[in-house]
Amino acid sequence: MSLSLSSSSLYILPVSMAENQPTAPASEGAMDMDQVEYTLRKRLPRKLPKRKNDIYVNMKTDFKAQLARCQKMLDSGCFSEICIHGLGLAINRAINIALQLQGGSFGSLQIAANTSTVELVDDLEPELDEGEPLTRTRNNSAIHIKVFHTLPQ
Amino acid sequence: MRRRAMSHNIKRLPRRLQEIAKKEVEKVSQLKKEQSKSKSRKARRRHGSLLMEFNRRQRKNIWLETHIWHAKRFHMVKKWGYCLGNKPTTKSYRACYRSMTKQCLLQDLSYYCCLELNGTENNLLKALARLTSVDAGTTFASVACLSGKCQGSLVLYKADQYPEKPLGPVTFLWRPKTQPDSSSGNRQLWIWMHPALKMDLLTELQLVCQCLDVPVPEPAPNECKTITYVPEKQTEVVGLKRKQQDKAGEVVIPEKKIIGNGTRDPSTTVVWTSLTNGITIEDLTMEILRYRLIGPLSHCVIFEAIQAADVPKNSEEREETKMYCWWSEYCTQPEKMSLHNHQRDILQLLLGVASPAEISAGTVLGLTVGDPRLNMPRNRTTAIPDLSQPEDLEKLRDLCLNGIGAEYAQSQIWDRNVRNVVTETKISEQKLNQMRSKLLVPGTRLDLGSQESKIPILLVHQPGKMAGQEHTGWGSGWDILIPKGWGMAFWIPLIYRGARVGGLQEGAKHTQYKGLPHFPDDFPDCPAGIQHSVETKKELIDKYNKYPPAKRPNYIHYGTMTPFRCPWQQLVEEWEAHIQAGDLKLAVSGKEQELKFEVQNPNYKHAGVHENKASEEMSNKEKPSEPDEEMEEDSESVTILERNTGCKNGKNVITQDTPAESGHVSVLRSRKLLKQISMWCRPSSSRGQQTQRYRGPAQVPLAADAVKSIIGSYPRFLIWVRLSLLKKGSPIANATICVPSKEDLQLLVSDPNCPGPQESKHRDPFKQKCKALKNKKRALPKVPETTTAADLGITSVSGCGVNLVQGLWPDQIRNVISHCSRLAIGYVSQGDFSLTVGCGEALGFVSLLGLLHMISNQPPNHRGLALVRNPASLQYRFAKINIEV
Repeated sequence: MSLSLSSSSLYILPVSMAENQPTAPASEGAMDMDQVEYTLRKRLPRKLPKRKNDIYVNMKTDFKAQLARCQKMLDSGCFSEICIHGLGLAINRAINIALQLQGGSFGSLQIAANTSTVELVDDLEPELDEGEPLTRTRNNSAIHIKVFHTLPQ
Repeated sequence: MRRRAMSHNIKRLPRRLQEIAKKEVEKVSQLKKEQSKSKSRKARRRHGSLLMEFNRRQRKNIWLETHIWHAKRFHMVKKWGYCLGNKPTTKSYRACYRSMTKQCLLQDLSYYCCLELNGTENNLLKALARLTSVDAGTTFASVACLSGKCQGSLVLYKADQYPEKPLGPVTFLWRPKTQPDSSSGNRQLWIWMHPALKMDLLTELQLVCQCLDVPVPEPAPNECKTITYVPEKQTEVVGLKRKQQDKAGEVVIPEKKIIGNGTRDPSTTVVWTSLTNGITIEDLTMEILRYRLIGPLSHCVIFEAIQAADVPKNSEEREETKMYCWWSEYCTQPEKMSLHNHQRDILQLLLGVASPAEISAGTVLGLTVGDPRLNMPRNRTTAIPDLSQPEDLEKLRDLCLNGIGAEYAQSQIWDRNVRNVVTETKISEQKLNQMRSKLLVPGTRLDLGSQESKIPILLVHQPGKMAGQEHTGWGSGWDILIPKGWGMAFWIPLIYRGARVGGLQEGAKHTQYKGLPHFPDDFPDCPAGIQHSVETKKELIDKYNKYPPAKRPNYIHYGTMTPFRCPWQQLVEEWEAHIQAGDLKLAVSGKEQELKFEVQNPNYKHAGVHENKASEEMSNKEKPSEPDEEMEEDSESVTILERNTGCKNGKNVITQDTPAESGHVSVLRSRKLLKQISMWCRPSSSRGQQTQRYRGPAQVPLAADAVKSIIGSYPRFLIWVRLSLLKKGSPIANATICVPSKEDLQLLVSDPNCPGPQESKHRDPFKQKCKALKNKKRALPKVPETTTAADLGITSVSGCGVNLVQGLWPDQIRNVISHCSRLAIGYVSQGDFSLTVGCGEALGFVSLLGLLHMISNQPPNHRGLALVRNPASLQYRFAKINIEV
């Protein structure tokens, strides 16, 4: 599912949806979902193990603050590389942060990006007693950018 | 006498004081003598006497099993017949919040009451349907809950009274069908509720189930359930101490530790049976303990602390253990064994899930676990999710998607006999420690083998924040249900896994951040809620009176009529009158609204606003002059309108009755209507297209007709709202929610950083009266003592019969909505600086009519903007109204 890019410049390849179409049995029942009968509730994305040098980018925190956080991490010398993750709408921002880091480093930083697909779960809550609670899965794209020092000076 | 050196010598005092001092000394010495008769501290603290003392103290208020633990660490309060921990004595407000958000917060909810209903499914559903309505969401009959797969929650009403006269919120749990039982069709249902609500609900349930209120003659319930019924005496009290020492000669029975409800008379009935439809209601208060774990780590805390029970390996072992019969008996049945193995597998699988927010809401898992005291860590540790081994990703995904199957929610905790056996056969802490001391290698795990107790428990998933767009899944967690007697045995292991403990205050904060109404504070229409508001008002007034007038706010100056309670009754009544008086105006503005929808030209919109304002001003001018005539006219027109509008079923009949039996407020809980109004409250700004898409075909645009029909059918209703403040400010309870004027909105547009409008200071018409009364009182020769600072403030006028307190309005209040410069539409019932959002946030109710009036007169891009003003402040703050469904 994930495509790794070795070059230092950044590409985002569209992940073909046909391959990643889930075959969840629950999604079939959801096809004839009536909007009046169900309420859609989104669940949180699955939590993954998190290292100290992982940074999950969101759209709520100020962009500058997130950039400064990454910069501080790189400058501290504790980590030779950091990993910036962005999901969905935050992909743009993750890329932006990575490029800004690289641009401000006078060539000492390199980036390598991976894309992947994250499966998200939506709950369909019945409004009426007769309705069975359903779940639907949908896919969202994510990016994982590794920012690392090129050579130890 | 003062506490100083030589203070015992009376002669050192001035002679005029010696008489008084002598009396005092005598009094004290008498008291001391009486005290000295009682035992020494050492004797009093001996185990037996201590136990006796504890038992005496819990006759009046029920103690939870964790009471002693809490009493050492918490501020205890006596509430609802229980002794409960209110908040920790340590400074831990933020720490508790962090636990809720990032780690795990533990709360003892054993004071929640459980009622068990037993009967055939059809009979139960038929009886309970009278207490609920499909209009307010799913009921007892919802498919997911009925199978036992999910816990459901709803608000119950008095029989056939929906949408008025609610009783309060409950959660319920059906026992999953067991194969042999399915033929007889008898189902078990647990209804969990707050103790303040219990008596109301119990009487109502007895009514709808046709269970006799008069105590059934004892044999009747005994006969009908000979197998399951165990005399109350044995279940109430279980011997804990000196079992070993009790030799044959020893007749004296030592004091028994009270487990369960110590306040109840053993002879009172707890079982009521209906003769007509065979439904049995049983009061299971304090029979089952309930602990709540909140936060993402609650998942791993719970699954580290408990381990599924071992299965006896062969038949020989089974024969050895005659004592622990229920488990070995249970193990002989192969289908039950396979169920247990499945449940154990699920437990293993759940360890791979990082946070409870990833599981479907309300999932139930039944388990049988071993003694949690045996595998305790030596020090307090922090449970950390172990996500490294994604062994069964496919299975895990399936679990998250489809939830845990209904058959795995089966647990023996539903069985009364098993519960009693488990409670009685608990190995005492002392015995356990004795066995530990005999271990060959100190500090190793004690292996009891087949002697180890097996405890049936139930894990119930608690959904986090569900409504709204932000912070979904916040505060999700697990509830753990344990048979009584095992409280501390589970409590300490949970704490040793890194759970922090919170009290009532933390529980209230949890519901507040989730945006849900908290019982009983936020249920002004329930009997328990009314009772609560009366009590809090009294408390707050007493506190207010303790301060001298100069050191407390003069609420009259701030224009706050009711700083200690929310006058819901007056609010809805006045809005009803107000709308009736200004009915014409609403219709006009509604038409304008429609026009504005069509024409997107901003200039035109602006003009519309001005017109609107003008019309409002005009109507405002007209109103005070001849309100009575208009009201009479309009009340007629409204009734005609009701007949014309589409929705006239049983509801309208009820609403037409309401004015006669004045003194009633209800909260709107119809989901369809809530959704509709929630949509109307959103501003149609840049994201207008998006909201348009969400609306779907069922969405009604905000138009005069729709508003009118709602006004006609729900005249005296309140609606639950969440207010998030745009800029500064932190609202507190009883703050007023007001309608912003046109100038305020323009002010916001011109200067987004403006703090908001100010209320001008009000004149205090009672000040002179208060002063006069005070002087009068002073002039009169009175009883020499008791003139403290507090008493000066209170001047009770016996002649008028009115209690005048300086700085407070007298009790008879009129005109609550237009008392200040902005029209009041509601009040905040709880508000605070929200640590989740990072700004002030308030939860409260607004009058439905007031809200509709407000949003139909607001321009679309500012729709849902309101003003909030604290009781002791003149500053209005801008806030956004959210209605989350």
